[in-house]
Amino acid sequence: MKGTRRLLAAHTALVYLFLYAPIAILVVFSFNASRQTAFWSGFTLDWYRQLFANPLLFRAVRNSLVVAGATTFIAVLLGTPAALALARHEFRGKRATQALLYLPVIIPEVVLGAALVTFFGAAGLRLSIATVVIAHVVFSVSYVAIVVRARLAGLDPALEEAARDLGAGPFETFRRVTLPLAAPGILASALLVFTLSIDDYVITSFVAGVGATTLPLHIYSMLKVGVTPEVNAVSTLLLAGTIVLIVIAHYLLGKDLLAKGPS
Amino acid sequence: MKKSFLLLAAIFFLVSCGVRMEPKIEMETSSKVLNVYIWTNYLPREVVDEFQRRTGIAVNVDTYDSNEAVLEKLQSGVADYDLVVPSDYMLKVLIPQGLVRPLDRARLPHFKNLDPRFLDQKFDPGNGHSIPYLWGTTGIGYNKKVGTVDSWRVLFDPKYSGRILMLDDPREAFGAALKLMGRSINERDPGVLRQAAEMLKRQKPLVRTYNSSDFANLLAAGDVDLAHGYNGELAEVVANAPDRLAYAVPKEGGTLWIDNLSIPKGARNLDSAYVFLDYLMEPEVAAKIVNGVHYAGANQAALPLIDAKIRQDPSIYPSKEVLDRCELIEDLGKTTQLIDELWTEVKAR
Amino acid sequence: MAPDRSASFRKPAYPLILPAWIALGIFFLAPLVLMLAVSFAERGTYGGIEPVGNLWAYLRSGAFLGNYIRSFGALYLWIGWRSLWMAALTTALAIAVSFPIAYYLAILAPARWKGLLLGLVVVPFWTSFLIRTYAWMFILRTEGLLNHVLMGTGLLHHPVELLYTQTAVLIGLVYGELPFMILPLYASLEKLDRSLLEAAADLGAGGAQSFWRVTLPLTLPGLAAGVVLVFVPSLGQFVVSDLLGGARSMLLGNLIQNQFAVARNKPFGSALAFELMAAVLVLLLAYAVYAKKRGGEALL
Repeated sequence: MKGTRRLLAAHTALVYLFLYAPIAILVVFSFNASRQTAFWSGFTLDWYRQLFANPLLFRAVRNSLVVAGATTFIAVLLGTPAALALARHEFRGKRATQALLYLPVIIPEVVLGAALVTFFGAAGLRLSIATVVIAHVVFSVSYVAIVVRARLAGLDPALEEAARDLGAGPFETFRRVTLPLAAPGILASALLVFTLSIDDYVITSFVAGVGATTLPLHIYSMLKVGVTPEVNAVSTLLLAGTIVLIVIAHYLLGKDLLAKGPS
Repeated sequence: MKKSFLLLAAIFFLVSCGVRMEPKIEMETSSKVLNVYIWTNYLPREVVDEFQRRTGIAVNVDTYDSNEAVLEKLQSGVADYDLVVPSDYMLKVLIPQGLVRPLDRARLPHFKNLDPRFLDQKFDPGNGHSIPYLWGTTGIGYNKKVGTVDSWRVLFDPKYSGRILMLDDPREAFGAALKLMGRSINERDPGVLRQAAEMLKRQKPLVRTYNSSDFANLLAAGDVDLAHGYNGELAEVVANAPDRLAYAVPKEGGTLWIDNLSIPKGARNLDSAYVFLDYLMEPEVAAKIVNGVHYAGANQAALPLIDAKIRQDPSIYPSKEVLDRCELIEDLGKTTQLIDELWTEVKAR
Repeated sequence: MAPDRSASFRKPAYPLILPAWIALGIFFLAPLVLMLAVSFAERGTYGGIEPVGNLWAYLRSGAFLGNYIRSFGALYLWIGWRSLWMAALTTALAIAVSFPIAYYLAILAPARWKGLLLGLVVVPFWTSFLIRTYAWMFILRTEGLLNHVLMGTGLLHHPVELLYTQTAVLIGLVYGELPFMILPLYASLEKLDRSLLEAAADLGAGGAQSFWRVTLPLTLPGLAAGVVLVFVPSLGQFVVSDLLGGARSMLLGNLIQNQFAVARNKPFGSALAFELMAAVLVLLLAYAVYAKKRGGEALL
C-alpha cells in the first residue's frame, strides 16, 4: 500500500509537470532576446514593448473584455431565473426547458457557429461585436442555468419554508433568503462564463465582423503568420491577468468556488 | 458576501456598457473609418500609419490567406469591409455576382501611374471594378542541400518525404499537379482533374503540412526543405540566407497571379475607400509597399523608387522567359465544385 | 427535492423562464431550424444556395436528401470513423492520466492541501486554449524546445519531428481536456464512503480487488460524466488538428468548418453538422438513461 501511495504521488507530480511545463516555458521564453525559438540568448523586454506599441492587440483585448462583460451580464440575467424555475418549481414544459438549456452546451461549437452565421446572413444582421455577444450569450445562458441550479438544488428548502412560515411573500423570500444563498453559485457561473467568453475561438471565428476581432482571433492570426516571441508575451500577460482574477475571486468567495470548477 | 457580490455585478455592468459606447463612436466618425480586408503580410504598417496621420481616417485591417475567405465574407452579405483584395480569378467570380462596386475613375487621379501591362485583363476588362495591386508567381522555395530545383517533380518525390510543404489552396495544389502532367492549370476535363487528384493523394503522405501563410518561415526554420509558395515571402527569406535557400519557378511553368483592390458592394465608407485607393497609387507609397512586402507592384511610376536589390531580384521581377511559361488562374465555373470536392478528398485521407 | 405544495409556487415559473426561452428561441432554435432547411438544399455554383424551382417536385424526387446520402459515402464515413477513433483515444488517454491523480487528490492527499491542489489543476483551464495549443507548437517544432533539450543532452542526433503529426494532435487534445476528466472523477471519488473500503479490507480483499470491485463501480458516475465531457468536444474540434496536425488530417470538425469556409458548400456542411449533433445527442441520451437507472447520481 505504501508503494502504491508513492507511485500515485509520483504520477500526480508528473501530471502537474505536464500541465504546467508548457505554460512555464512559454513565460520564460517571452523574455528571450533571440527571435529564433529555443535558444536562450539573453533577457529582454523588447517583445513586451513591441506588444504595447501594437494598437491592433489593444483593440482585440478591449473587444474581448467588452464582449465577455456584456455576455456575462446578460447570461446571468437570463439564466438565474431559469435556474430558479427549474430548481424550485414544477410546471408543464419543464423537461422541454431543461432540454433547451442543456442543448447549447452539448452541441459542438462548430455546429453552433455555422448555424448562427447562416442565421445572421439570412436575417441581414451585420456581423459586429453585437453578433459576437449574441453568440456568446447563447451558450453562456446554459452554463449559468446549470451551475446556479446545482447550487439551488443543494440548498436546504427548510430555510425558505421557514421564511414563508414567518410571513414573507415569495418575492421577499427570494430577495432575502434564496438570492444570498444562491449568490456563490451565481458568481461561480459568472466567472465561468466570463472566462469561456474571453477564451472562445471557434464560435467567434464564425460570427465576428470587422473591428470585432477578439483576442483569440487575433492570436490565431498571429499563430498562422509565424511564431514570434510576441505571442509568448501576450500569453504571459493573459496568464497573469487570469491568475490575478482567480486570486481575487478566491479571496472574495472562498475555497469551495474553485472546487466547483467547470463541472 | 453581499458587498463583493455588488462589486462584481457593478464591474460586469460597467464593462458591458462598453458595448453601447462602441456603436456611438462609430456613428460619429463614420466617414473617418476604413475597414480593409487584405492578405496577410500584404500591407506594411508604416503605409497605414502614414495614411492615418495624413487624413485622420482610422484604418482597421483584417487579414485572410485564401480567396475563398473573401468570397465567403462577401457572399454572407453581412461582413462590413470597404476594401478587399481578391486575386484575378476570384474577381471573375465576384463581378458577375455584383459583389464589388464599379469604380469611379474620376476619383482616382493616380490611376495613370499604373503599368499598362497589368490593365485591361480578361477578368476585369477596362478595370471597371478593380485596380491591380501586387503581382507575383507561385513556385518552389527550397533548401540548397536538395540540389537545384527546376521541376514540380521534386514536390512529389518520395525522397523528400516529410520535408515538403504545400500551399493549403486547391487551385494552387492542383496547378502544381496539372503542370507536372503537362496540362494547363485551368484544365476543365473531369477525367484529367481526377488524375491530378490521384497524384495529390499519393503525394499527401510526403507532405509535412499544408500552409498558406507561414510557408516561408517554415522553410527558413528548417521544418521543411521544399516549400510550395508565393515568390515575395520566399524571396525575402532567400535574401536573408542566399547560400542556403533559393526560389525557382519550375520549367513546366507556374502560376502568375495579380491581386487587385476592389470595393465591396456593401461598403459604407466609400469616401475613405477612394482616398485610400488613390493614396496607394502614389509612387512613393507604392514603392514603400513593394520594399516592405517584397512583392512586385503594378505601379510603373514607382519603379525608380524601389530598392535596387528588390528591383534586380529575379524571383520578384522575373524575366520575360519565366513569365511566358506562367499562367493566370482563371475561374472554372461549375468545375469549381468538382475541384472543391476532390480537394476535400485529398485532405481527408 | 420535494416540490412545494403551495399553488402560488406553480404560477410564477413561466415569467422566470420566458426571457431565456425568447432569447434562445430566436438565436438558438431558429438558426438550427434554418440550418436544417439549408441541409436539404443544394449548393449554388459559387457557394450559396441553389434556388429550388418546384418545391413539391423537389421533395418528391427525394433530391432533398442528397447531402445526407452523400455523407454516407466511403470518404465521409472514413472521416467520421477517424474522428470517433481520435475522440475515443483521447478519452482513454485522459482517463489513464486522470484517474491516478484524481484518486490521489480525493483519497490520499492531506485534507488541508486538497483545495489548493484541486485549484492548481483548474488554473491551466482558466488560460487561453489557443495559447496552450501554441505552447505545444513551440515545444514540438523542429527547432523547438524538446528537440533542443534532446539534442543538447546528446540523447538524439537528429531532431525528432513531432509537430504536424497525429501524436502532436493527441498530446494537444489530451492536454486541453484533462481538467474535464480529473474534476468529475475527483467529485465522485471524494464522495466515496471510506467505510466501504474498510469493510472490503476486513472481508479479506486485497488492494487491487477492493479497487476493482468497490472503488471503480462506485465512481462510474464520475467516469461517465468525464467521458461525456471529454469525448463530445473532442469529436467536433478542429483547431488542435489544424494547428498541431499541420492541416493534414481532416476530422469531422475540420470537414464541417472546411465546407463552410473553403469549399463553400453550406448545404452539405449543414447536413454534416446535423449528423454530428445527432450523434452527440444519441450519446447523451444513452448517458441520461444510464444515469436514471443508477438513481440520479448524474453529475451533469
